[in-house]
Formats: sequence, C-alpha cells, structure tokens
Amino acid sequence: MTTEKKVTINKLPTGVPGLDEIVGGGLPEFSFNIIAGAPGSGKTTLAHQFVFANASPERPALYFTVLGESAIKMLRYQQQYTFFDPAKLTDSIRFINLSQVVLEKDLGAVLEEITKEVEKVNPTVVVVDSFRTMVRKPESDMDLQSFIQRLALFLASWQATTFLIGEYAEEELRDNPIFTVADGLFWLRQTAERNSIVRKLQIIKLRGQDSVPGLHTFRITDSGVQAFSRTFGLTARKRNPPSNRRLCFGIPELDKMLGGGVREGDSVLIAGSSGTGKSVLATQFVAEGIRQGEPGIVAVFEERPEAYAERATSLGLDLETPQKDGKLTILYLRPLDLSVDETMQSILDAVQKIGAKRLVIDSLAGFEMALSPGFRADFRESLYRMIFALTGIGVTILSTVEVDESFTEFPFSTYSISFLTDDIIRLRYVSIDGQLRKIMVVIKMRGGNHAKDIREYEITDKGVVILGKRLTNFQGLISGVPVHSDRPAQEVQSSHDSETKNHT
Amino acid sequence: MTSLPEMRDLAQQLLRYEADAGNPSEPVESQILRVYQKLRQCLGELAGTAGFQSLATRALSLARSEVPSLGTVQVGADGNLEGMSAIERSIEVEQNPVHEGGIILLSRLLGLLFIFLGEALTLSLLRDAWPGAALDDRNSWNGRKP
Repeated sequence: MTTEKKVTINKLPTGVPGLDEIVGGGLPEFSFNIIAGAPGSGKTTLAHQFVFANASPERPALYFTVLGESAIKMLRYQQQYTFFDPAKLTDSIRFINLSQVVLEKDLGAVLEEITKEVEKVNPTVVVVDSFRTMVRKPESDMDLQSFIQRLALFLASWQATTFLIGEYAEEELRDNPIFTVADGLFWLRQTAERNSIVRKLQIIKLRGQDSVPGLHTFRITDSGVQAFSRTFGLTARKRNPPSNRRLCFGIPELDKMLGGGVREGDSVLIAGSSGTGKSVLATQFVAEGIRQGEPGIVAVFEERPEAYAERATSLGLDLETPQKDGKLTILYLRPLDLSVDETMQSILDAVQKIGAKRLVIDSLAGFEMALSPGFRADFRESLYRMIFALTGIGVTILSTVEVDESFTEFPFSTYSISFLTDDIIRLRYVSIDGQLRKIMVVIKMRGGNHAKDIREYEITDKGVVILGKRLTNFQGLISGVPVHSDRPAQEVQSSHDSETKNHT
Repeated sequence: MTSLPEMRDLAQQLLRYEADAGNPSEPVESQILRVYQKLRQCLGELAGTAGFQSLATRALSLARSEVPSLGTVQVGADGNLEGMSAIERSIEVEQNPVHEGGIILLSRLLGLLFIFLGEALTLSLLRDAWPGAALDDRNSWNGRKP
C-alpha cells in the first residue's frame, strides 16, 4: 500500500451564489468546461461571474470573443451587473476579439491566436465566447472536435481553467463528441411555463468531484446569475438531533392542549377556513417566540409586510420593534414565477442572518400561487424537501392552510400534506344557538401528548382567546352543525373531570 | 450638436501625452494619428477590426457635422484613418497648434466609448493604452447620444 498522497484538486469559487454548493464546493482548477444552452440562457453572464471572481493582476484572465454578440455591446450590458468591476480591466481581465481571424482564416489560425495570447499573458482563466460560431464556416480546415481537443490539451498544460461557451439545443446533447472532451458540462435552460419563464441549470458532467444531480433553478438579477440547489445548500450540514424542548404560542390554554407547546423542530399545520384566525395564531406564535428570545421569520404571500405588522398591532403585538432590532424578518414573496428553491433561499438567508428559530409560512395557498405553474405541479414534493431541510436545522415551521368548510367531512388540508406535518391544529366554524362560533382541536402531535378536547375560541383585540372548558354539551361539533347533548349535567361534569390525553 | 467639452479636454490631454512623448518638431497631424492609432489598437483588441472601424466611421460622421472639411477624410476597412494629412494642410491653424478637425474626431470617438462602455471602462482602457497618464474620472458624465 502506498503512503503517497493523491493529487489535490483545488476548487475555484464560481462567483455564482449557490453554484459552488451544486458543483461540490467549487470548480476544479485547470478543468476544461463547456457552458451550453440556447441564446439568452445566461451563459455569458455565468462565465463573466467566474472570471470576475477569480481574476487578479497576479492571476489574470483572458476572455476571447468570437462572433455573435459585439464585444462592446457585451461589455455595455455586462457592466450593469454588480459583480462587474471595471477596475479589473485590463490588468486582471483582458478581452480579445477574434472575429477577424475567424472570418478571414480557419480554426487552425484561431488556435494559433489563442495560443499566442495565452503564452504572452499566462492566464489562470480562459473563456472562449462563443466557440460554436467558429465552426459554422464550411471551409474550416480543422474540424471542431480536433480544435477542441487541441485547445483543451494546450490550456490544461498552461494551467488554465477554461470555459467554452456554445449555443446548443437539447437534441444536440446526445452522441456529441465535443462534450466527451470537456471535464465539466454546464447546461442552461430557459423554458416558458404558461406565462412564466423558468431557468434551470444542470451539471451534466463534472470530472473529479461530486456535483448535486438534477435540475437546479436559477435566476438572473442585477447581481448576475444566482443558482438554487435542489438540496438548498444543506447537504453538508448535519441534521440537528430531535429536541424535547417545547415552543409556546403564548396562549396558555392552547399550550396546555399541546402538552406544553409544539416540539422544537416540528412542522405545524394550522388548517381552517377563511376568517377562523389562522394568521392570528401564526402571528401570536412568532411574537411569543420573540418574547422568549427566539428570532422569527414570517413568509407572507397574501399581504404586504407593513399590512401584516399593522394587523399584529391591532392584536396588541408589536412586530415593528423586533424587525428594527433584527429579531424578526417579514418576507414578502409574491412574484408569480418563483421556484420553491428561490423561496427557500430567501428563507434560509433570513434564517442565517437573524438566527431564526421559528418560521411562519402564511399561507401555503399563497405560496403555491407565487410559484410558476411548473413548480405548482410539484408542490407537495417541494414542500417535503423544504420542510425536511428546514426542520433538519432546528427551525420550527408553522404553516397555515385554508380548507374549504364542509358539513360532511373534516379535511385537514387541500394538499394532502398532513403526512409532512408533525402537528395539526384544526380550526372551524360551528353553528350553535343561532351563532357562527369557532372551535379548535389538536388533531395530531407526532411525538407528544395532546388534549383531544374541542375548544371554543374567539378572536379578540388580544388575539385568539380560548373560552371556558371544552364543549361537552354538544354532539357532532366537527360536523359544523352540532346538536345539544341530552346527557345530564352531572354526567357531563364527570366526563370533564376525567379528561383524557391522547397520544399519537 | 457639438462634441462635449469633457471629451474635447480628454482628447487634448491624450494629445499632450503624445506630444510629450514624441519629437517636439513633429507635425500636429502625427500626434493626432498616434492617438488615433493607440485607440485603434486597444479597441481593435477588444472589439475587433470591424468593431473599431464601425465606431470610427460613426465618430467621423459626427465630427463632419462640426468640421465639414473632414469630408475628405475616410476610415479604411482596417480602421486606418486616411486623408488626414490633406485636410491638415488646408485648414488655417490659429491659436491652437493641434488641428481642430482631429480634436473633434478624437472627441467624438471618445464620446462614443463613453456612451457604449461608460466612463469607468473607457478610462480603464485609456489607462492601459497610456500607462503613465493621469486620467481623472469625469464623474457625473452620463452617456448620451451625441
């Protein structure tokens, strides 16, 4: 057995938020990569981010532009991104236009020109944008595969990490010898889903290290490309061990029903029809957390943060001060083409920024509506990934969900997601004595005792207030149209005294 | 519409650098051509010959509106400036020893760079072409169609 060390492959930062996680920690140094995709898919922007993140006067980058986009226009637009640092031109990054060579000569001359510049500058990063345009000349003496092969060999020998950018359609992926030469193949896609545009990135191959498989959503903003890993960047993080700590709502009777509160790291679902107080309960949950020194996040989809905080004020809950103090973040997420991954990234960023322990998602219906149509189809699967990831790092999630009130059944959610939640609290209207009153019941608590009582409550200027004892004088409360019980009062009292707990 | 004073100042600054670097007795035309050639070289690398040629042609067209005698000057297919020497001799030079037409042409070319690439990137390119030059940032100049 040899004791000699294996070669170490250094990983270079991609400069693209989220992409380092996807490629397994960074891009392998000296790798030869192809960025492929249709026009407008973000190839050039991604390459620029890599170049600007890695180039320095000591480790310069060469960016060869060929045909296609005019170099001046490319720079005109690219400098709008925040990552673009004009000071890096031309000491650290040199743009060289090869269009004349391509137009007048052949691929051999292009290779010669690249070789000459690389030998002169000794760059650590080289980009050829776009190499595909070079081969559309029918009279090329050198075929593209040979060109790529020789370029890859040369640039690797010169210790350069390389990106070739090419316009390719999906169907060209198969049996294309060009792609066999590359160490890394990044495929960018842009698809229309009804009226929304969804961008996805796939690392089809990456030699030397594990990348996260699958399609990852990305977005292009003022900051350039931002990628969202399917694993939410949490693959390297250990899951927190289950906690027995209980988190209260600050509503004594409800906390008692929950056996002292919800277990830390649980996913809680509050289900009920419109106006039953789901959001009020959620607000009280996050406000109580702040009171207990646990920072919180509220992700709202149906109203603006100001309106949410204002409504809390009407319940005697101050959400303004904790926001100023960095103890609370109210995220408003309502573009109609969001992906779950982007939402998760926003939430995770906020969680990490303020050390949040409680998260409210208000509501799942609003969340679903904010997603692009393609992501709505995968909503359950996405929720599963999100809840698993967040609870795994110890965040307690409380989601609200609106359910259609029915007088024949008692649904917990329209999404069939109750299996994703540890605890369910159901709110509903009941018709009693000519009034539409409200009742709540704890349906399930995974890993804890809870009361099986059905309790009446009201929403007051102090939030949710549970009234009196459990409702013992009615039968069929969960049907919404209960009937008065005929049992004698003494029997009812006896039944109440022997209140039982249920364990699920 | 005339070339902006800021661009004119910048063109004159570049001409002064070339004058300082060259022979004091050489004609003004040589300085103008040297500045132009340096711009051609650094922009040619970035934008390609065709890219530079089209920018220079546009700059010349704009300059002609201010100095009609530039009508005899041409930008060649390789980006070379042709006919400057002829116009040089035909214009009477008054106080400024540098030919007005050349300054206007260079101002227009620099102006186009400011419009397309912005101030920071243009000055970065100029500093690369004139390494010793102290080119001040002309802040607050926003690219506008000349």
